[in-house]
Order: sequence, then structure tokens, then C-alpha cells
Amino acid sequence: MKMKRKQPKVDIPSVAMGDIAFNLLIFFVILAQSQDDSHIQWTPAKADNLKGSGYTRVTVTIDKDQKVYLNGQELSEAQLASRIETYLGTAPAGQRKVLLKAHSECTAAKFEPVIEAISQAGGELVHILDKKIEQ
Amino acid sequence: MKFRRSTKLLVDVPAVASGDIAFNLIVFFLVCASTQPDTGRSQILPKSEQTQQEKEQDEHLTVDLKRNAILINGDPVKVSEVKARVRAKLAGKSRPDDRVVIVKSADDVPYHAWIEVTSQIEDAGGIITLQLEEERTVDVPQ
Repeated sequence: MKMKRKQPKVDIPSVAMGDIAFNLLIFFVILAQSQDDSHIQWTPAKADNLKGSGYTRVTVTIDKDQKVYLNGQELSEAQLASRIETYLGTAPAGQRKVLLKAHSECTAAKFEPVIEAISQAGGELVHILDKKIEQ
Repeated sequence: MKFRRSTKLLVDVPAVASGDIAFNLIVFFLVCASTQPDTGRSQILPKSEQTQQEKEQDEHLTVDLKRNAILINGDPVKVSEVKARVRAKLAGKSRPDDRVVIVKSADDVPYHAWIEVTSQIEDAGGIITLQLEEERTVDVPQ
């Protein structure tokens, strides 16, 4: 005699749905932070009277090996002005901020042409610095 | 007559969810840490253009930055004195054109020194203009 095996009923636990959705949301929020320049090694210079830099789409970084990066991608100084201009597009004044993260020991031969390129592209330069601690 | 309730209700915190809670807390603080706002100084620079060097030097204040020295109109000054000296030179000048300070840096000047001096110039009311050497290629006949 054949016994029929009962088909087990398996439901997806709906209690965890909220948690799963929340985790997916955070995952995509982190991915959406496209300006990932966390791999670049640089030390900010120190200064007084600093303000919050605010939001920007364009970040230029000069690392400790004097390499230039635009939004985390390495490129040559010759390409810099045109690429920044492309990013900024027709954004009005006040929304054309370009953050410059220059390594504190990088030399004028490197950072001055970068500043010039930002200026040529019509960018509003913001130097990213650390607050100077008085001793 | 009072009756004593014999059974105590024990309510446990559901331990199954504590893993999820811990994970969410970790992610929350990671996201917070990665989106800390940057601080900095904005700097308004005139758009680059080719100008006649001699004419500009006569009209404007010039700051020469060397690796170990700072010269204001040719006079050596200490880093701590830059702000006061620039402020004194710009006293009585209200037009933005008159407050332009030309900064010429040697190739080996480090960024931290440059930012310290230019910050002081701006704090003194100066408008920074960079003077860059134009690169020229000269073919030497062999």
C-alpha cells in the first residue's frame, strides 16, 4: 500500500520583510555615494576659520604621491579643466563648488596648475582642511 | 477578601531579533561615519588670463613664497607677520581691484605653507591672484 506523503507547507516569514527592505535600502544608499575616494591617501593641511564645505558633485584630490584624481578617478592635469567643466555643466553660480583635497606636503608645482584648472572651468574653489589646534 | 495571583507573567525580550538590531545599528553608525561633512575654506580666484607682468607688479601687492622665506614686495617677513603687513598695505583701499594680492610660489613650496599664507592674506582683506610661470618649450639645435 502506498502512503501519500503530505506536502509540507512552507511560507516565507513575512515578519522579516521590514528588516530585509530596510537593509536593501541602506545598501543602495551606500552604493549611490558615487564619489568614492576613500582609497586615496592624503593628509589635509591645517588652518583656522573653517566652514562646512556643503554638497558638491566635483572633488579633486592630490594624494601623497602627487597623483591627481577627479571624483576618485586618476587623470592627468591636462584633462582636468575640461572634465570639471563637463561635470559642472551649466550650473549657476553658488552651485559650482569644487572641493580640493590636497595632501599637505604636495608642492606648488603640482597644486597650482590644479587650482588654475578649477578656475578655468569656472569652479568655485573650496580647500578641504582640518581645524588647526592651538597648543 | 483578597486573592493573591499565583502566576507571575514573565515577558522575555525576543532574543531572535537582537542580531538584526545589532546589524542595523552597525550599518547606521557606519553610514553616519562615512558622511561626516568636510570643513574647509572657500577661495575666490579670478579666471586665469595672460597679463603683462611688469604692469601688474607696479599696481598690486606681491607676495613671493619660497620654501623657507616669504617676501612682501621684496621685503622678507615672518609667517606670523603676514596678516598684519598685508592689512597695513591694503589700508584705505576699498575697491576690489585695489585689494588684489599677487601670489608667486616657488615650485617646491608645500601646500600647508601656501594655505597658511593665503589664509592670512584673505583674512587681511586681500583678493588672491596666482601668478604662474608660463611653460615654454625651446628647441636647441644640435
